[in-house]
Amino acid sequence: MASSTCLRRFSQLSLDRATQPAFAPRSLLAATQASCFSTSAARHANPTGKKGMGAAPKRGTKTLNVKKGRKDTVKDLSKKPSPGDRKAMRKRIVLSNNNALEVPGLKDLEKDNALDPSNEGKVMGLAENVVDALRAVEAFKPSQGWSLFRRPATLMRKETIQVAQLLKEAEEAPEGQAKKTLRRILTGQRMSGKSTLILQGLAMGVLRDWVVIHLPEGQDLVNAHTEYAPLPGSQPTQYTQDLYTANLLSQIIKANEKILASININTNPSLPFPLPANSNLKQLADLGIINPEASWPVFAALWKELTQPGRPPIMLGLDGLSHVMGESQYMSAEVKRIHAFDLTIVRHFIDHLSGKVALPNGGLVLAATTKSNSPTSPALDFSIQVAEARQNKASDLPQWNPYANVDQRAMEALKDIEVLKVGGMSKEEARSIMEYYAASGMLRAKVDEGFVTEKWSLAGMGNIGELERASVRLRV
Amino acid sequence: MVFVFGVNFPEQTLVKRALETFYGIGPKASQGIMARFHIFPWAKVGTLKNAQVLDLTAELSDMKIENDLRREVQENIRRLKDMGTYRGRRHAMGLPVRGQRTRNQITTARKLNRIERGGTGRVQM
Repeated sequence: MASSTCLRRFSQLSLDRATQPAFAPRSLLAATQASCFSTSAARHANPTGKKGMGAAPKRGTKTLNVKKGRKDTVKDLSKKPSPGDRKAMRKRIVLSNNNALEVPGLKDLEKDNALDPSNEGKVMGLAENVVDALRAVEAFKPSQGWSLFRRPATLMRKETIQVAQLLKEAEEAPEGQAKKTLRRILTGQRMSGKSTLILQGLAMGVLRDWVVIHLPEGQDLVNAHTEYAPLPGSQPTQYTQDLYTANLLSQIIKANEKILASININTNPSLPFPLPANSNLKQLADLGIINPEASWPVFAALWKELTQPGRPPIMLGLDGLSHVMGESQYMSAEVKRIHAFDLTIVRHFIDHLSGKVALPNGGLVLAATTKSNSPTSPALDFSIQVAEARQNKASDLPQWNPYANVDQRAMEALKDIEVLKVGGMSKEEARSIMEYYAASGMLRAKVDEGFVTEKWSLAGMGNIGELERASVRLRV
Repeated sequence: MVFVFGVNFPEQTLVKRALETFYGIGPKASQGIMARFHIFPWAKVGTLKNAQVLDLTAELSDMKIENDLRREVQENIRRLKDMGTYRGRRHAMGLPVRGQRTRNQITTARKLNRIERGGTGRVQM
């Protein structure tokens, strides 16, 4: 026996006797026992003391979880907003500010002066009934600065006057010619006032007794947040959005109540429910709201009525155009994405925007692009470039890169569009709006040449959103 | 409460979520089913029309889901075990089947690799 073993055995003798008293071991070496000098346990112990290094406990093993049931976790006792409250807050539109001063000498836009080119550069107020109609069609946006002033008023910019000219052109057809349908896509930088320009166009439409129809957000149409259903008998399949259409009908009624109530039905629409005799268009639209499943046929019937001879011109608007220039989030029965143009409302709008369908009583189709929330749409961007080059009478139009992917349907629809570029304001316009800010008491400075020039340059050559930020919202 | 394929769901449950509670239906399958019946992705069970609920139930009863699927998976594992394959043995022992090391991190294997894979009953929401 080696001396070291001897020593270990010797040291264990007393332990052996204690543990195995009943039977004497045949061999001292047969049973291996823990050595009292052994350091292996200590060496194999987790030296860093890190937790969770070993394998997970076997199933069924009880583990000690100190975190669970800890007493000192503080419960959040604050009241949570009820469902829908947060969204309502986010979408809330405030159109007045009691702390702002009444602007003396602020004239309202009226039916007679709405399309007057001499308004250029003036700030004009919006009358109560116009504000109601615009609110009904959701033309006001929470991001716009309406809540800063006593009551809604807008600056009649150069572009606004251009839109006014379009309205005039659509209203007054030359003798013996059909009335014009004018179509424009509004483009421009972020916060340059594209949505506000649509709003101004809608306001002028309301004042001039047009039928005003507005799709407030392109995204809402395609992001698959509302019901959809295939339109029976359509080839290729079109999809209706019943609840959205019903809501649109109610907006149309609210915004155009007087006009719709004054027109009686003279076509004979085939609808899934009986129509009372001698009913007017308002009653027709009301039926569509009550039966959302029939809202699309009702909308189609309403449209047919509105395009009968002798009816008022129509103003059709859409904000956020690039959203509808591609595939929507809706799925067809074959689990393929539905193209936005296959949704009936979008189809309807695009037909009018592309000029495929004309408005027999004249009208204006306005579509605004957006720069803050828009998916890339190469077809739209390219079509705008081409249209701008065409309008500038450029000798060589931009060519599409044939190797790049493009949405062919969007390209086709935007083949001959016209754009209205919303640029920066002139200094005169900037001065006019800043004087309005100062008169409202929201800008406490002397509005003179130097001050206007400073703010105008700070706002990136008269970007109206930036100007508002720099002069009214920013408090130093 | 809406009754879909023998289970009651509260009205405010998303249809997608309700479908995915069934064993054998995941995101892809639920998307396919909903597209087939033109149900939009954010639809709640309460807003479905009666016909749509019946359609869903009919569609689900044609699919191999829940206990049928569990049985198939378990039979496959049992076959491996009965043949005496390595994979069968590893399943029986609750250890990784495909050559992973077992020094640590085999929680998933311990959780899943069993003969009675998929459990026996429906998991409540």
